[in-house]
Amino acid sequence: MFRRKRSAEDFAAEIKAHLELEADEWNQEGMSEEQARTQARRAFGNVAVAQELFHLKGRWQWLDKLRRDLRFALRGLRHSPGFAATAILTLALGIGANTAVFSVMNAVLLRSLPVSDPNRLVYLRTSNPPRGTGTIDSTETFSYAVYDALRHQGRGLSPVMAYVPLSSSRVAVRYGSEPEEAEGDMVSATFFSGLGVKLLRGRGFREEDETDHAPIAVISYNYWTRRFARDPDVLGKTLYVNDVAITIVGVAAEGFEGVEGGGSTDFWIPLQSRPELNAWGNPLQDGKNYIANQTWWCLRLIGRLAPGNSRMQAVAQLQPVFQRAAYAGLGTPTEGEKPPILSLADANLSEYNRQYRNPLHMLMAMVGLVLLIALTNVVMLLMARNRVRQREFSVRQALGAGRGELLRQLLAESLILVTAGGALAWAFAVMATRLLGRWAQIESSLAPDRTVLLFTLGVLVIAAILFSLAPLRVALAGGAELALKTSAATSNTDAGKSRAGKVIVALQMALCVVLLVGAGLLIRTLRNLENTSLGMQTDGLVVFGVKPNIQSIPEGVAFYVNLMNKLRALPGVESVTNMEDRIGSWSSDNSDMRVDGQLPDVANGSSRTVRSNVVGPDFFRTLGVPVLAGRDFADSDTAASPPVGIINEQFAKRFFPHQNPLGHTIGTDNGRYQMTVVGVVRDHKYRSIDEEPIPMAWYMYAQIPMTGAMHVEMRVHGEPLAILPSARKAVQQMNPTLPLIRPMTQRAQYDLTISSQALFARLAGFFGFLAVVLVATGLYGTLAYRVSVRTAEIGVRMALGARRGQVVWMILKGSLLLTAAGVVMGVPPAILLGRALTSSLYGIKPLDGVSYLLALMGVALVALAASALPAARAASVDPLTALRTD
Amino acid sequence: MGRMSTQENNDRIALLQGTLDLLILKILVLGPCHGQGVARLIQRQSEEVFFVDHGSLYLALQRLEDKKWIRAKWGVSENNRKARFYSLTPKGREQLTEKASDWRRLARAMGLILGGEEA
Repeated sequence: MFRRKRSAEDFAAEIKAHLELEADEWNQEGMSEEQARTQARRAFGNVAVAQELFHLKGRWQWLDKLRRDLRFALRGLRHSPGFAATAILTLALGIGANTAVFSVMNAVLLRSLPVSDPNRLVYLRTSNPPRGTGTIDSTETFSYAVYDALRHQGRGLSPVMAYVPLSSSRVAVRYGSEPEEAEGDMVSATFFSGLGVKLLRGRGFREEDETDHAPIAVISYNYWTRRFARDPDVLGKTLYVNDVAITIVGVAAEGFEGVEGGGSTDFWIPLQSRPELNAWGNPLQDGKNYIANQTWWCLRLIGRLAPGNSRMQAVAQLQPVFQRAAYAGLGTPTEGEKPPILSLADANLSEYNRQYRNPLHMLMAMVGLVLLIALTNVVMLLMARNRVRQREFSVRQALGAGRGELLRQLLAESLILVTAGGALAWAFAVMATRLLGRWAQIESSLAPDRTVLLFTLGVLVIAAILFSLAPLRVALAGGAELALKTSAATSNTDAGKSRAGKVIVALQMALCVVLLVGAGLLIRTLRNLENTSLGMQTDGLVVFGVKPNIQSIPEGVAFYVNLMNKLRALPGVESVTNMEDRIGSWSSDNSDMRVDGQLPDVANGSSRTVRSNVVGPDFFRTLGVPVLAGRDFADSDTAASPPVGIINEQFAKRFFPHQNPLGHTIGTDNGRYQMTVVGVVRDHKYRSIDEEPIPMAWYMYAQIPMTGAMHVEMRVHGEPLAILPSARKAVQQMNPTLPLIRPMTQRAQYDLTISSQALFARLAGFFGFLAVVLVATGLYGTLAYRVSVRTAEIGVRMALGARRGQVVWMILKGSLLLTAAGVVMGVPPAILLGRALTSSLYGIKPLDGVSYLLALMGVALVALAASALPAARAASVDPLTALRTD
Repeated sequence: MGRMSTQENNDRIALLQGTLDLLILKILVLGPCHGQGVARLIQRQSEEVFFVDHGSLYLALQRLEDKKWIRAKWGVSENNRKARFYSLTPKGREQLTEKASDWRRLARAMGLILGGEEA
């Protein structure tokens, strides 16, 4: 069709010959030669146009045809707007949801680090920290001593880079007079050069910057844009980080936002030694920062494999150095202790984002099922529609339209549907991507990139071809002879026509069961989480952080005593306390503890780990946690009075079985601090809503040598957040530059710990709902169509004495049978899905009866709802009218 | 596409695709013929009811040739003019049988309906 077989000259010669022959003939009939020639030309019409058409034919014919096909298809679709709208919306929802989830998956799981040669980069991991250490993460963080030993090793990994946040959330930054919070990391001098990250402006860090702890910073492109409006003169400006003056010396290349997926570091400074800039924003421990404190494993390490080294070789070279350095400040390993083992992990974002991987894969699978239902729905819609149009196709075939032409017309219709659906899907996807991005806390730019686009396009193209081919079989099956059948009743009831439709509906039902079971499990998990008792009264609780600039321990204690007295005096305040780790924020301090002076014996397999927190007076009264024995902390517990501690039931059960714990002593694992147990409190949730109870101990802040940031908890009457303005005033009376850090209700803080489960469940619920709607429309369409083509048959049945009830039952039976088949097919994959979801469930088993029951009821309802209208229509068939129709 | 008009009134009626093709095939079954001859024969055999637009005819011929239903060869006409002669291929012959029977049935159906209406 596209190849020219004949030259234009040849065609012109043929026309010339034609004109001569025609002229000859007129001549013979008695015209003059000139008249004959004119007549021949007139008869031919426009020669130039014919030649032009011939010329265009070879090249543009297909384009012309396409345009005509599209116009024709549009006209066809305009005649059935309901069909067109349903098909387009179905496609948009299916493909849009798919694109959104895929975009986020791509950002979180597939994208690798924006650095040079990322395949040679590795994260350092340890099997376990040595006994007697404190960690941020038991496998991912290391002590400064380990970092120092590994980077001087020079073999295996070159360089080894450390990075550590200045705060567990955001750090106070001031530029000019405006205080704000930003994400900042302390890093090795080799950080930018070792990763291969280019500097857009200025310079990175040099060896001496780390040795001198130079007060300089490189800011991210995003921060430069957001805070400095891409000011070209940003270099040399001063940022005050925790009130320390830092000079900006560089801007990192666009797209680099740190080596942790989803994170968005705003600025980097060399490793510091000042107390204000301790790792994780922690207060100094015994006056030691992260460098001096050899037993605090707080640095994250990333390295580049030295040239020619494999990962195994690198591990082999570093292992002895690592194991030696691991015990710096600890002495030798204790009896029977397993030494920590170094390993290297792929440095890509997926490694970091394990927590999102499983839910995202699940969502991807669910979305895939929804897409499948959506696609089959559209195919079914097209099939049903084309079956109705069979006589139209037959007539057109009889009149000479080729199969190719029918195929092209169907293709054109699909193209229009897919294009419109795709455009709508994109808009939907952009919205949904933003929502999902917020869930996964991806602050880095979430632009849909080329892979996502290609994936969607691929789906669209396959959909277009599928849609064109599916109805064609039906369209051609009729053949030309069908045109002569004059009865709608007989022309549409040829045997076996709707079998494919039934199989598809049953399959959709099966997919629907799977989705509903998954959604049910996750939603019930969410309900369990939401209804989990925290073991305290969160109504009326409000929490915020303060980070005073404090030099000495007595000064710190005085600050908080003073602050709490001010806050207690505010109207509407019932009680006030403070704490080092904010409860419900995932953070916790875990370590071994001494009980009555020695490390307790524990049964094989159980852990000696105790979670601890440093808190203020009235802590348990403020939270509403019942004190089961003894007393709460009080203002009278001071540095001068005997040190006291409070434990929970778990602690008492594990370490003081069958004893009264009151009066016994507990202490830190190194034996330096000893406290007398003065109270036992009921177990309650500490880090998050879904945690299991664990032994806990609390110390009184005034008796522990610590200074710096703490969180303040207030119990107030009425709306908790309404107290914040006056609380802020009280804080700023003490220091006008102090902001309230992350103020919120305590309930909101706890809810954050299940926010990902909540969104996961809501999305799953949404997809389940989407599936139900799609399946319902599909089933409705199929049944309605079947009723419409069986009108005559139903009329006959009723004329022969069938009752309306029997007719309704005939229709309902059909859909119930399909439902039953779908359920039978759907339960096994649903069981598989449930098993895959196990780790995301809380408080229910994967084989949760209620979820299954709800899913089955769901599909049964869908079947009934979708059948109701067609059944009613069938019952209202008037036999006389039905028989008279044709 | 075959655009034809009846001679009596010059209203152009968009007739259905394939009709002109069918007519061409039918003429060529009698033997090889050049384009001008085909046009003449269609006009004559339809008792001058059909008037063939010659430009469209050649495009139709070209289309049929592309479909390999007819083939063409340059030759010499009875009055010694050089002309391009078209003849049916076996495929064209098949198509003719098929389309003619389709058409006849359609025409009969139309006739039945129209006839009934007039009565």
